[in-house]
Amino acid sequence: MDADLLSATFVELADTMVADFDVIDFLHLLTGRSVALLSASAAGVMLADPRGELRVAASSNEAAGLLDLFQIQNDQGPCLDCYRTGRPVTATDLSGPGQQWPRFAAAAAKSGFRTVEALPMRLRDQVIGALNLFRAEAGPFDAATLRLGQALADVATIGLLHERNVRRGDVVAEQLQAALNSRVIIEQAKGKLAERLTIDTDEAFGVLRDYARNSNQRLTEVALNFVTGATADFPPPPRPA
Amino acid sequence: MADRRLEIWGELAAHAAGRGAVVSLADVCAVAAASELSGAWVAAARDDEPAFLMYATDPVGEQLAELQLTLGEGPCHDVLVFAAPVLAGDLADNESGRRWPAFTPEARRHGAGAAFAFPLIVGAIRAGVLGAYRRSAGPLTGDQLGDLLILADAATMLLLDSLSDGAAAAADGDGAWLDGRPPDLALHRAEIDQATGMLTGQLGVNITEAFARLRAYAYAENRRLADVASDIVARRLRLHPDPGPEEGP
Repeated sequence: MDADLLSATFVELADTMVADFDVIDFLHLLTGRSVALLSASAAGVMLADPRGELRVAASSNEAAGLLDLFQIQNDQGPCLDCYRTGRPVTATDLSGPGQQWPRFAAAAAKSGFRTVEALPMRLRDQVIGALNLFRAEAGPFDAATLRLGQALADVATIGLLHERNVRRGDVVAEQLQAALNSRVIIEQAKGKLAERLTIDTDEAFGVLRDYARNSNQRLTEVALNFVTGATADFPPPPRPA
Repeated sequence: MADRRLEIWGELAAHAAGRGAVVSLADVCAVAAASELSGAWVAAARDDEPAFLMYATDPVGEQLAELQLTLGEGPCHDVLVFAAPVLAGDLADNESGRRWPAFTPEARRHGAGAAFAFPLIVGAIRAGVLGAYRRSAGPLTGDQLGDLLILADAATMLLLDSLSDGAAAAADGDGAWLDGRPPDLALHRAEIDQATGMLTGQLGVNITEAFARLRAYAYAENRRLADVASDIVARRLRLHPDPGPEEGP
């Protein structure tokens, strides 16, 4: 366990009252640090859409296959059960027989994951989504790791909704809608950039994020300006391989 | 979890059939207003601002919509700025008065106690706004909010069809796609958005038109939108500006 990274992560996840706060960048930080701190192979955040669906908001790895694995959980999987019950849900041997969520288990095993844990993102009584942790090895995450994972999910939930003072349930709905639309903008920008630079969409995400960081702009803003053509000179020429 | 979505699409189809027509914005507004609201309207956007009233269920709804277009303020304006619903459950409260100093007293004079607005957007695509009002004040219930968001999705697709020139004709600007089965957008996948972004480059069109062309292609080929998108992202399929699509290598 990297204690410095741990304390830095809590500070960063709590520090959302800044002018350049970007919800997708923030959730991407959560998934990246979950992988680094919780010895997970991959992590993702799904947020509840007020339409009654779970949607992918961020993933430690932007490969299409992994995004799909999260999306399947709108129909079945630990994330959905976690969201419905508000409690952590564990699956420890996804390649074994008699799976509780056959479609999800098959997709997870195909992607090389055997263990998955879903931790609720909860604000008081309301569950707004779940943090999903994946591991290549069979067998559960240990209890201390899960406590830490839940703490990350909790502080991220507060940070996410903290952007404005949350007094009413419908403000949560407004914020989740804005977050999910940001996610769509990011996907559109990934596609446009992947086409322009002849790279895959996973790499395109990295280029967008680096550009946002290096130019001190919000990720969603960079993506929106690129998609709408407001920034003609973006992106910079690709780095030589 | 998409059951409610199917039910609402059923209501839209039934409402349209009741007046002997295919599903249109009129049906979306009527079904929205029927969910314990007093009226609803749809305005189309130009340059990211609500600009044209497309349909309103009643004279008060029409006035509230026109008022916002004229004053340049109100929930329908904010909704496109924030890309999220704006829910003013009580137009008599301080927050509403402070937020929309010109709109709020006029809206109340017309008899509105609460006003709600939903963005008709898909990522960077800004199609317009679904607005609704209630004579009495009070918040939306969670179920109402979910239903209105589903109706906003339907309105988005109808509005995009009606705004897009040419290419969307193949996707039936009359909303025929709504009658049989819900569009694949219900099972939204990242690849649909990625493919839309890729098509802006392949076709040399803006994001709104790229989305229309993607849907038109799927419709014309009688394939699922998600499958076509998946082929485009995997570079198994390219679309060409003219004369028409052809298969990739």
